[in-house]
Amino acid sequence: MRLLPVIILVLAFTWGSPGPLAQSADSPIKVFGYFQTSFQQWTAYDDHPDNNTFNLQQMNLFLQKDLGSDWTAFINLEFLNNFSSGRRWGSFSLEEAWIRYRKDNRLQLKIGLLTPIFNNLNEIKNRTPLLPYIIRPLAYETSFNEFIDVDAFTPIQAFTQVYGFIPWNGLKFDYALYLGNSPNINNDPTRGQTGIDTTTTLLYGGRVGLRFNDIKLGFSGTYDNDNVGTRLAPVLSRPISELNELPRRRLGADLSVNIAPFQLEGEFIDVKLGDDPQILKQEVSFYYATLGYHLTEQFFAYGSYWYLDSQVDIASTTSSADEFEDISIPTMGIYYNLTDRVRFKAQHAWVAISNEFRDFGETATAKVSADFRVATVAISVWF
Amino acid sequence: MRTVYLTILVLLLSTAASMAQVAVIAHQSCPADTIEKRELLDFYTGDILKWSDGQLVVVFDLKPRGEVKKDFYKFLGKSASRMKSIWLKKMLAGEKDPPLSLKSETEILDKVATTPGALGFVSQALVTQEVKILAVIRADD
Repeated sequence: MRLLPVIILVLAFTWGSPGPLAQSADSPIKVFGYFQTSFQQWTAYDDHPDNNTFNLQQMNLFLQKDLGSDWTAFINLEFLNNFSSGRRWGSFSLEEAWIRYRKDNRLQLKIGLLTPIFNNLNEIKNRTPLLPYIIRPLAYETSFNEFIDVDAFTPIQAFTQVYGFIPWNGLKFDYALYLGNSPNINNDPTRGQTGIDTTTTLLYGGRVGLRFNDIKLGFSGTYDNDNVGTRLAPVLSRPISELNELPRRRLGADLSVNIAPFQLEGEFIDVKLGDDPQILKQEVSFYYATLGYHLTEQFFAYGSYWYLDSQVDIASTTSSADEFEDISIPTMGIYYNLTDRVRFKAQHAWVAISNEFRDFGETATAKVSADFRVATVAISVWF
Repeated sequence: MRTVYLTILVLLLSTAASMAQVAVIAHQSCPADTIEKRELLDFYTGDILKWSDGQLVVVFDLKPRGEVKKDFYKFLGKSASRMKSIWLKKMLAGEKDPPLSLKSETEILDKVATTPGALGFVSQALVTQEVKILAVIRADD
């Protein structure tokens, strides 16, 4: 199994067609991208007061170069939340840097840092001009990743992906298979090179889907091993070996239907980490459903419902703890295309969070709930 | 009486205009002689990028919104705005550039005639022998 990535790489570079450098490489580098700037108003919850804020939520810059008719190189740089390294605001990341070989529609291969196909939105979650939302369905809202573990829901990166579709009698069967790093990435320079996988395990994932006219559906899944539990070993008085490389599997399903003037879209994601509640087990599920209506070609209105459910069971050698959390968000919004490249958006969301936590050895359960509203307007521009 | 004749003439002309047929045209080097709706949609959405002989398909779109463009996209079963959103998605995913939008039908005709692998659409009345007609779309198709 560990030889699979090597085999794929060798196949990719020894394919029957000429290599990328054998073909014309004089096409210009295309530079394009987009940004979304918003004004958000949050009502108070817990110890957070009301607040109003402008925010350059996101800017992405793409560089693309065709290296002959079948090969393309692509780079995606992403800046979040008014990024300024000097002021320690937001974040900047190299989201994608890949080369793609396209044999035909049945077989395409990407190698490099890439966002893998998972459900309907993962690959395009950060393409704000494509989305009606300002605040995206929670599992995909990367600008919240400072307080929601977005990375747990969907595979963030892969390094090799084979994908394509097979047409048959008006149907299109989509497939994607990919390999990436496990989530155990070193971020401590004192322990060696940062950014590299510290384990011998990998991420395996894929999606199979079906398209018919404007109906699209699919099923996705990934498997990897996570070392997140090892940090808890001293607290739980357990040997690291019991918490090392816990298996994690993600399952997803997606459906989208475009029957003018209606647009329906929904997804389900279920993630399980660990399989023994007497040691560590986490189960997180998320779904959203959006129904939209094109009032005119330029004007679109939608209502959407998002629900996130999380349960963690953790046990030391003498006692245990449980945490249950639900986040429920009904939201509605509109967008209006001011021009082909400028979209105005408005969105209102009602957020309800409920959290129950039973600590080690405690008999009482701590319950916390928070309700607040978010109203936001934004301009999304691609250039 | 002259006014009546003029009115009839105008009515006949406008009826003829509304029944104008759209021709799907291709460069002479294109290996196909006809094209089905499904194939045409695959080329215009960027799902399929090559002709059967491996030649790249170069798709042209018409910038002004008029009857020809409306009839063409109606035949494909998509609105112009839906097509734009499909093209934007492909472009931002690094999959394919949107078709080049040209200002007039004569410009499309010229480009298709001179670009190997090109595919476009114009009013049938404008078509010359420099391009190949792959299909004719009637307004009621």
